[in-house]
Amino acid sequence: MNFFKRAWLNLTAKKGRSILLILVTSAIMLFVLAGLLIRNAADSATSNAKRSVGATVTLSANRAAAFKQMRSRSSTSKTSRPKLTTSPVKLSDAKQIAQLSNISSYSATVSTSANATGFDAISTSGNSATNGGMGMKGGSTSGSGDIAILGVTSTSSTSAFEEKSSKMTKGRGITTSDEGTNHVVIESELAKQDNLSVGDSIKLKATTGTKKTYTMTIVGIYKASSSTSTQQGPGATDPSNNVYTSYTFANTVKGSKYKNTADSVTFKVSNPAKVSTVKTAGKKLINTSKYSLTTNDSSYQTVKASMDNVKSFADKIVWLVAIAGTIILALIVILMIRERRYEIGVLLSLGEARWKIVAQFFVEMVMVLVVSIAIAGVGGKFVGNQLGQQLVSQQTTTATTSSTATQTQGGQPGGGGSAPSGNRKPSGNMNGGAPGSSTSGTSTQKQAELDVSVTVLNLVELGGFGLAIMFLSIMLASGGILRLQPKKVLID
Amino acid sequence: MLKTTDLGYWYDRQENSLFEHVNLEFKSGTSYAIVGQSGSGKTTFLSLLAGLDKPRAGQIELNGEPINKIGLTSYRKSHVAIVFQSYNLFNYMSPLNNLLTAMAVTDSSHRGDKAFATTMLCKLGITDEQMTKNVQKLSGGQQQRVAIACTMVCDAKLVVADEPTGNLDEENTKYVIEQFQKIAHDQHKCVIIVTHESDVAKACDHSYRLAKHEFVLEG
Ligand SMILES: Nc1ncnc2c1ncn2[C@@H]1O[C@H](COP(=O)(O)OP(=O)(O)OP(=O)(O)O)[C@@H](O)[C@H]1O
Ligand SMILES: [Mg+2]
Repeated sequence: MNFFKRAWLNLTAKKGRSILLILVTSAIMLFVLAGLLIRNAADSATSNAKRSVGATVTLSANRAAAFKQMRSRSSTSKTSRPKLTTSPVKLSDAKQIAQLSNISSYSATVSTSANATGFDAISTSGNSATNGGMGMKGGSTSGSGDIAILGVTSTSSTSAFEEKSSKMTKGRGITTSDEGTNHVVIESELAKQDNLSVGDSIKLKATTGTKKTYTMTIVGIYKASSSTSTQQGPGATDPSNNVYTSYTFANTVKGSKYKNTADSVTFKVSNPAKVSTVKTAGKKLINTSKYSLTTNDSSYQTVKASMDNVKSFADKIVWLVAIAGTIILALIVILMIRERRYEIGVLLSLGEARWKIVAQFFVEMVMVLVVSIAIAGVGGKFVGNQLGQQLVSQQTTTATTSSTATQTQGGQPGGGGSAPSGNRKPSGNMNGGAPGSSTSGTSTQKQAELDVSVTVLNLVELGGFGLAIMFLSIMLASGGILRLQPKKVLID
Repeated sequence: MLKTTDLGYWYDRQENSLFEHVNLEFKSGTSYAIVGQSGSGKTTFLSLLAGLDKPRAGQIELNGEPINKIGLTSYRKSHVAIVFQSYNLFNYMSPLNNLLTAMAVTDSSHRGDKAFATTMLCKLGITDEQMTKNVQKLSGGQQQRVAIACTMVCDAKLVVADEPTGNLDEENTKYVIEQFQKIAHDQHKCVIIVTHESDVAKACDHSYRLAKHEFVLEG
């Protein structure tokens, strides 16, 4: 393999030219690397965002079907006032859906209300507890109290806590271990007004069913951010009157027929890209005329869209630079080969095979490439960081704008899905149905951490690109070598 | 060893052929000179013998085998060594590396034998110091001697040279011709030199003159 030795001798003998070649190649490699870095960073940021944003599928009563039924009944019988009858979700159904792949966890929500006994609920001016209750009464099967009970599997899995619009300040949240207990978590304003703290007991009187009075033990106090209050729908009591209990307790308050049911069950989908697959699979397990499955992956879609933008931009950079680099290098190699016609003629006169001459040029360029990649690797981090920062600041603006847009459209499904039970509930922070700006806000921060560091894998990938560029340019330029007549070169 | 039969060549049209029906024989252990007016076609003829171009008519046989059957590339690689006026050397290498490269490319039996290459360069008056510095730092005469050394370290039995002394002074010319004679007689090779210098032609064993599209033996 004499051409390796010739390549080496040539590069070392013609130092000035070699250095120039290395500089040009380094510059091209640097741009390719920058593109690759941003693309990879966008890739990993997307998968991070996928994991952190998460998407949900919610199982709830099929309201649309229930309304339809109600309407058809009202047209046939005019004697009684039509009633909206919906079935609470059976937990056994939920457990079946939870077995599907891509579902990481699920949480049930049961909403009801009770009257504060022996302590005062917070009353908002012009929106007293009773008035608020009446407003929502409609076709409800239960009366309304001044305390809204949110029965959950665990407080940490509710969207209000996940989105950090509510935070535990004292004690602990409701967990699965609270099932079957009378443990309660109350809001800090309520605690302050009634001078309550963790460990204290309060009494709640059910407004429906047995109308029993329950003695509750406060296990924690949470603070709802002011944004939650502003998101309250009309007719709701003050959000500080929301208390969290285990869903089992909420069912007990609602009555014995609600045992092992929930207003809605929200399933966390571990891979947000699989949301629709999960929905299709889940629909096969339920009676779709009674229940419906609604998906919510809008935050994921927002993040995905913005990340896809960065990615496609980076892809374009990579390809643009690769193509431009190939053209530039091909021209340089063509010029170099012209300048070395005599040398090629001597080799041909010695009977060297033409492909070995092409191989010599290729080896020379690969040697140049290796040095250039090392240089680009050092410089790439800097360039990548600069570019990445630039892109992120642009994308953050886009993401914030689009998430604001989705919030206004996407606030409905959660609230709508649980309304049939007729209980008053704050629509803003339930069921993960509202892709609030807070979710997108968190993911935008994730984007800002675009990790632009040069790894060995990056350099290997860069090497691949470099080799392809070199190969192409040598192929483009070697036409000259393959056509060259040794006689012409040596005799002129 | 080398025989041309009915060899003919022209560039654009057959009517303007440089030579036709050339029937010559070149023997090993002998040196030949080819002389003739400028533009008569000496270089063209030599390039055919060297396998750098294909004849338009007739054929060239090496020890009875047509060279186009051997294949021009492998013919050049194994059977011919070429020396040109402009010293066909790799300008980015030292004389020693030039010899080693020529040996490697032609698959010489001395391939990789550094000591052999050094001895050959020594014989041609290249000092140890000159051997390892860039070949372009040598004088024209020295460079041509390196080019001749290249033909000596290769196994090729046929050595063709086109005006090898064209750029050299009298003293260097004499020296170079002596070396070609040694190659022919000591290494028992066939040496064919195109020249316009009568001294060079006289020094060779035989000389042909290309005139009026024909080769005529002069001595
Ligand atoms: N590539 C070519 N295309 C067309 N005609 C050519 C070509 N090369 C040479 N010729 C012509 O062929 C003729 C012979 O050229 P050649 O180089 O063989 O002559 P020569 O005998 O070596 O001359 P000199 O002594 O000057 O070197 C010349 O008239 C030249 O113009
Ligand atoms: Mg000539």
